[in-house]
Amino acid sequence: MAEPRAAGGPQIVAQFKPEDATGGGGAVATATLAPEVPVAPGTPGASAVPAAPAVESRLTGIGRGVARWAAALAGAIAIFTVLLLLKGANPASVYSNVWTSTFTNQPSIEQIFVKAAPLLLGALAVVVPARAGLVNVGGEGQIVIGAVAAGGIGISLGDRLGGGLVMILMVVASMAAGAAWAGLAAVLRLTVGINEAVSTLLMNYIALDLLLYLIYSPWKDPHGTGQPTTAPLADTAKLPYLGTTAVHVGIVFALIATAVVWLLLRYTTWGFRLRVIGGNPEAARRAGLPVALLLLSAMLVGGALAGLGGMVHYAGVEYKLRTGITTNFGYIAFLASWLARHNPVSVVLAALALAAITVAGDSLQLDSALPAATVNILMGLVLIAVLGWTTRKKSGGKAR
Amino acid sequence: MSSLVVDVLAGAVGGGTAIMYAGLGETISERAGVINLGTEGSMLGGALAAYAATATSGSPWVGVLAGMGAGAALAGVHAVLVVARKANQFASGLTVMFFALGLTSLFGAAYVGRQIHALNPWKVPGLSAIPWVGPILFDHDPLTYISFAVAPMVWWLLYKSRVGLLIRTAGEHSEVLLVHGYSTNTVRYVSVIAGGGLCGLGGAQLSIAYSNAWFENMTVGRGFIAVALVIFATWNPLRVMAGSYLFGAALALSPALQARGYGINQFALDAIPFVVTILVLAVLGKRTLLAAPDELRRVFETRAA
Repeated sequence: MAEPRAAGGPQIVAQFKPEDATGGGGAVATATLAPEVPVAPGTPGASAVPAAPAVESRLTGIGRGVARWAAALAGAIAIFTVLLLLKGANPASVYSNVWTSTFTNQPSIEQIFVKAAPLLLGALAVVVPARAGLVNVGGEGQIVIGAVAAGGIGISLGDRLGGGLVMILMVVASMAAGAAWAGLAAVLRLTVGINEAVSTLLMNYIALDLLLYLIYSPWKDPHGTGQPTTAPLADTAKLPYLGTTAVHVGIVFALIATAVVWLLLRYTTWGFRLRVIGGNPEAARRAGLPVALLLLSAMLVGGALAGLGGMVHYAGVEYKLRTGITTNFGYIAFLASWLARHNPVSVVLAALALAAITVAGDSLQLDSALPAATVNILMGLVLIAVLGWTTRKKSGGKAR
Repeated sequence: MSSLVVDVLAGAVGGGTAIMYAGLGETISERAGVINLGTEGSMLGGALAAYAATATSGSPWVGVLAGMGAGAALAGVHAVLVVARKANQFASGLTVMFFALGLTSLFGAAYVGRQIHALNPWKVPGLSAIPWVGPILFDHDPLTYISFAVAPMVWWLLYKSRVGLLIRTAGEHSEVLLVHGYSTNTVRYVSVIAGGGLCGLGGAQLSIAYSNAWFENMTVGRGFIAVALVIFATWNPLRVMAGSYLFGAALALSPALQARGYGINQFALDAIPFVVTILVLAVLGKRTLLAAPDELRRVFETRAA
């Protein structure tokens, strides 16, 4: 990328990087950090030196991050308001309706957690490969294929085996299917050099067509009416609810998965090696790391998580495979991961936020007679604001 | 049997045109080093803007211009994010796609089921009477005829014109542009936005010439097919043209079979273009990668932040 700024030399880029990365209190303060921080990434020993200022700037960094998020949200809502006015809707009543029916009644709040479960798992499916520098755009397909695998178990064994056993089988099958779907993309990259962003994107459509093929003929419920679906999952195999709420245990699965991913990436050799590859694959190869195997494993883990996301949505909410079962969950999850900058902890917040926006869509439809898909505007605007203001952080560095 | 072949091939040309326009737009953008997954969004925006403008003005040609404008505007958002703000190209493209999906749902609801004065098929006198060739190539809407010329024009633009040299240099060796006093950013802005205009034209063909209808999310993945197609065609506009008819044929096959009473599950056929693309990429393998513009390859290899 040779726009004038980058041509000025690597040291300029290096000075921008720490400023953005630490989000410090001002250009002057962070400029003094510049000579030290660029050494830090990837070399644990070196980071010990600037530890004290790093903690301080991390705090102000959080403050600035929150402010940036608030500003992004405010800007997005302002533009959304203008669009509502253009459409002739009354923004005040739209917002108050959205607020009342999304955040002040229990069923809607429960819905947010229900929707967040597959989103979070789908986002983790982006986070893990991203650590190794892979772009997994295939969350949608992996979620679909996970749901298909769970559905296959559900309709073939659902009323023959015990509920608990069926659930375990569904979890295993969906994770295996998701892993295989993503793993295929990794294999294609490693053997014939097809970029994984391209192949995962293409495979989304293959997965979707497979789902539609199955529900339109071989798996179609003979007793169903209207839109073709599979036969419903046996009651015993449905995921149980948490206490007296309408939130199924899928969100617990997702949170456990988040914790496991966080631990794996942070404290294991595997996680460290993925980060090394993500930083500089050539150096990793020369250091003797099994790069191909590690890349494959990152995609397999990611795909398994997305597949699980498909399973919890099927066995926790839908109970039948149907057209449009995922409603773009995979793509929203991809964006959630980008919102969270592939950080496995903040991805929880991003998934909840996007789940809330999705639930708000129902309010638009029911209370304000606007198409539910209208919320995609708000989601798009928030993301535009966040991408536009915050992505110089790391991508401006070596990669370009 | 022969009528089946003619039906499928005619459907391939008519139905593949929208994909071709989007693919040509994406080719220009990717040749300049920017991949745009917002193609789907630009097509949707173009489809609705064309439909709405046609309904309001009564003239489909006003609709065509509106469609191109909407597609270009949405691509402009992507251009700002990736060129000026260095956002990740995949994330930005998907964001624009969702943004457009929402916008067109909100403003399109009023146009669902509305009648318009569409661009009707027009038989080319004389040529359309030729057996086989006539119905396949010369019984279409005007935008399809225009596309016959647009694909070679884009090829000429990219390979034979000065502008094309700048675009391809932006995608291959952007530092060379700098040395000669050009701004890579400007070239990329123009390429991405012009590409978005073509995507919008593709959307317009879909709504006011091919389907004569507007409904929510009516492109159903055609924009993503176009992105796949460009790779399938190894960034060559003429191969994009051929590939779009191949993909169009896959889409036209199942309705044609069903109309003749064959109990075929269309979704198995719908997957064909995607499977074929992956297979072609696998067979071409390293050659495909070599055909990719250098700077674009760098995008693919970008380590995620």
